[in-house]
Amino acid sequence: MFYTIGRLLYEYSDVFSYCRLFNYITFRSIAAALSAVIFVFLCSRPFIMFLHRKNIRDQARDIGLPEVTDKKGTPTMGGVLIIGGVIFSLFLWANWKSPFVWCTVAATLWYGLLGFADDIRKIMRRSGDKGLSERAKLVFQSVFAVIFGYYITGSSSPLKLHSLEFYLPFVKHPVAQLHPVVYICFLYLFIMFVTNSVNLTDGLDGLAITSSLFVLGVLGIFGYVMGNRIYSDYLYFPYVPGSGELTIVAAAFVGAGLGFLWYNAYPAQIFMGDTGSLAIGGAIATMSVLLKQEMLFPIAGGLFVAEALTSQIQDKIGVKLVGRRIFYRAPLHHALQYRGLAEPKVVVRLSIISGILALIALSSLKIR
Amino acid sequence: MITLITVIAALYVMAFLAFRVVGLVKEKRGKPPLVILAGGGTGGHVYPLLAIYEEIAKRHPNYRFLYIGVPNKAESHIVPREGIELWYTYSIGYPGLKNPIILAKFLIILLAGSLKCAIKFTIEQPKYLVSTGGYVSAPAIVAAVVLRKVFRIRIGIFLHEQNTVPGQLNHFFGRWADIVFVSFRETMSFFPENGVFSGYPVRRRVQEMLSRSEENSAISVPHGKKVVFVFGGSQGARTINRALVDAIPYLYPYRKKIFIIHGRGLARTEEYDAVKDTEDRISRLDDEIKKELESFYYSQAYFHNIGAVYRIADLVVARSGAGTLNEIAALGKPALLIPKSGLPGDHQVINARAMKNAGAAQVLYEDVRREPDGRVVEFVDGQTLASAILRLLQDPSLLSSMAVAAKSFFRGNAAETIVDCIDYPSKARDLHKSSVKLSRLSVESLPSNDRVLKLLSINYSENPETFNPYQVFDPEDVEYFRYRAVRLLYHPKWQIRNVGVKLVGYLLHRDKVSEILRMITDRTPVSLWLRLLGGDYREVGFIRRNSIRALQIMDIFNADVEEALMIAIDDPYYEVRSEACRAVCHFSNKLAGKDKWLQKILERFNDPSFEVVCEAAKAMGYIGIDGRAVEALLQFAMHPLWQVRYAALLGILRLLERRVICPCDGLVERLGSFILTSTDFVPHFRLKETYRQIVSLCGTTCDE
Repeated sequence: MFYTIGRLLYEYSDVFSYCRLFNYITFRSIAAALSAVIFVFLCSRPFIMFLHRKNIRDQARDIGLPEVTDKKGTPTMGGVLIIGGVIFSLFLWANWKSPFVWCTVAATLWYGLLGFADDIRKIMRRSGDKGLSERAKLVFQSVFAVIFGYYITGSSSPLKLHSLEFYLPFVKHPVAQLHPVVYICFLYLFIMFVTNSVNLTDGLDGLAITSSLFVLGVLGIFGYVMGNRIYSDYLYFPYVPGSGELTIVAAAFVGAGLGFLWYNAYPAQIFMGDTGSLAIGGAIATMSVLLKQEMLFPIAGGLFVAEALTSQIQDKIGVKLVGRRIFYRAPLHHALQYRGLAEPKVVVRLSIISGILALIALSSLKIR
Repeated sequence: MITLITVIAALYVMAFLAFRVVGLVKEKRGKPPLVILAGGGTGGHVYPLLAIYEEIAKRHPNYRFLYIGVPNKAESHIVPREGIELWYTYSIGYPGLKNPIILAKFLIILLAGSLKCAIKFTIEQPKYLVSTGGYVSAPAIVAAVVLRKVFRIRIGIFLHEQNTVPGQLNHFFGRWADIVFVSFRETMSFFPENGVFSGYPVRRRVQEMLSRSEENSAISVPHGKKVVFVFGGSQGARTINRALVDAIPYLYPYRKKIFIIHGRGLARTEEYDAVKDTEDRISRLDDEIKKELESFYYSQAYFHNIGAVYRIADLVVARSGAGTLNEIAALGKPALLIPKSGLPGDHQVINARAMKNAGAAQVLYEDVRREPDGRVVEFVDGQTLASAILRLLQDPSLLSSMAVAAKSFFRGNAAETIVDCIDYPSKARDLHKSSVKLSRLSVESLPSNDRVLKLLSINYSENPETFNPYQVFDPEDVEYFRYRAVRLLYHPKWQIRNVGVKLVGYLLHRDKVSEILRMITDRTPVSLWLRLLGGDYREVGFIRRNSIRALQIMDIFNADVEEALMIAIDDPYYEVRSEACRAVCHFSNKLAGKDKWLQKILERFNDPSFEVVCEAAKAMGYIGIDGRAVEALLQFAMHPLWQVRYAALLGILRLLERRVICPCDGLVERLGSFILTSTDFVPHFRLKETYRQIVSLCGTTCDE
């Protein structure tokens, strides 16, 4: 909103030249983060009380750790707050006409809606195992992934000439020019993997949100670089005009996430639920694709990858196929708990690891 | 494309015309109407059909009948004796969707059989078709349905379902039938559109046997002996036949008082030849018994005058198929039922339980074992069968009350009802309406294995000390669940064997300990690629772990168990090792102080998995007998993982409790070297705890 108003004003007269401020990405990012934090702070308490009143509570799956059963009864679906905060601050500060913003918002809303349906179903049936079926979720996720892949490789793609290039971190030039079909398949798998791995990581108080904050921060910085002609030239990045808007989106997410963490820190007063984890996963996936940094995710989001892999190996190969546990427990955070680390300690340690991974990912800005 | 459509259209018109023309010609010749009878494979499908046939033939003596069957099945033995024309077609049982090649074979055979039937129907112009199910009747029903639905040709289709849970064929084709007659009102829920509750038709001849005076059944029974009639349906039941022969040595001492009539059955498949197998087994009996065998045992493959045999029997030992049950009920005979399991909906078990609950029968469940050649067969222990028979025979008042109860189970006029409905559609409509009203009842369903497991495990975790499955289920049900659990133990899929192991444990089925022990020690490797993924043996890690757990739940200990635990404690999978250590704690009063166990537990102190080390440290507290145990546990004082240090302290505590070591200052000093900080803690949710306290005081369940 302010972007449009500011633009109108300073173009109208020199008297309003200070309104140029609203044109700067740095300023708008900070403002977006702050407004998201404020939004979440203001809304959280009444929202938590509302959830308590409506009896919208987490239906924990009992996996034999004492803390898990004691979490039963914490309100869930805090993801609604995060999404609300992001949309609110983007409404204020983003350029509404930017396709980058629209893609990310669409992903957030679509996956948020899916998570919402899943959460609601779990609450209605009073069981953590009786959400949407795995197949229904996959179909719903696939629909978005395919449409998005089709849009991004098509003629109206916001990435223009770069749309089919495939970049690797720490490599200066695109390593391959992919066929659209191949690229869509790749995107499909990528988006599915990212959203689900964020979902799997959401198991301890504050874990998913802190690790996502680091990834979103990294993506925001990459967006700033790629949307800036000078920096992109200097760092040998493809110049994608308008991608700076993603910095604002990322900043809004970081702001909303920080606000949410305030209430989500151990012991949590609210969980993000599938609503939040899928929405954040969808946003991270779309932003990575729009910034041509798909392969950065395994580095920046290494924690998510580890969580997803341990969980899948344990479940699909260990428990279902060969009939034994391959790890003590899965996913990773439960394994650490089982080894005797208290929950807050696990969260802090894993957050430190995601911070280190984020730094490594950032170093690929210059080392290429 | 157009040619194809033309050809099909031409064929269609030709077929239609052929049918009509043949029909007109037949009508002109004034031939009496034809009724097609289809249904067979086993006697259970043939007899009710024969009962319906008798009723139709009685009312319409001019009708012609054609029985459609498959060679070498029950109908080929039974039907010709009744003077009905038997005509063969092709059919095999529905194999399921798993193997596409067998499925294709099934479809081709079904198509060929249906075509043959369709041509026959075109030529013969039947008035209607009556089927009692069984895959043998599939081609006839398919042909009739196609002629009716596609060619709009009038053939009445009437199905009869004998069991509580309909067979696949009747369930699938029931929607196209004019009427589906059902034997149990519970079954109405499967056919809400066209079902009619008729009961199970029993042959007139069997019924008449009752009214006649003591008829000679061609078997000379010495006077004053109790007669036991043992049979397993027309094909014979392997379990029953073998169990009876095994029971003979136990019945031999009572040979002066009892007489056994044995219907071996007609089965002559590769898998099982009833006559030969039985004779083989009899020839293996003691010479002494064989000499006197004829004085108290008579066997025949099949009784055509089964009513007469029923008549002289004091006790019937049989399967609990709907047919047998109705015959027993019609004649009011006390019965010992051995239900066949693994049938759709477990209907034989449900039938048998219904009889048992009415006080009309007793039930004996099968057991399962693995033969030396690896095949898994059901069996009933001969001694168990013999004692069950003897127990019943020794109690005449019980037998007579069972007979009365059995009689009340019978509905006499099923065949009349069925033929009424076929002849008068208006009557069928009325009956359908009244049957639908009855169908509120649903089929009594038994809890699934998973449900049983859940209930038992909850009960066990509440109080392991006094746990007893009989508190959770009726003794009857426990027997039956044990049988089901044992079947699972031999399943080719490990996931199902795993459930079986758990169930056997919770149901305290101590007879199966040898099988559980075999699972712990079995070292058959799995395929290479599974081993590459981390698998090891055929009895996978979970099964081995749960087997040891089952031993603890069953609380059974002997030299074999000890040997198996000795092997398990060196298992390649860590959870098995730690479970074995837990078992050592459990059986500590038998193991304490044994040098080899102390040695084993000490070895486990260096285990790569901390979980095993913890359990071993606790176990040391249970079986240690002197200061060396404390020394060994004190080595964990500086262990990096707090759980291990904690387990070591628990071990020392246990040693103190057992008064193996005495509390003294020296010990306190030594314990001072323990690292007492920890990276974990148990949170206190004081609010929740208080809430729970209040709720538990109020005596309701806590559900925040």
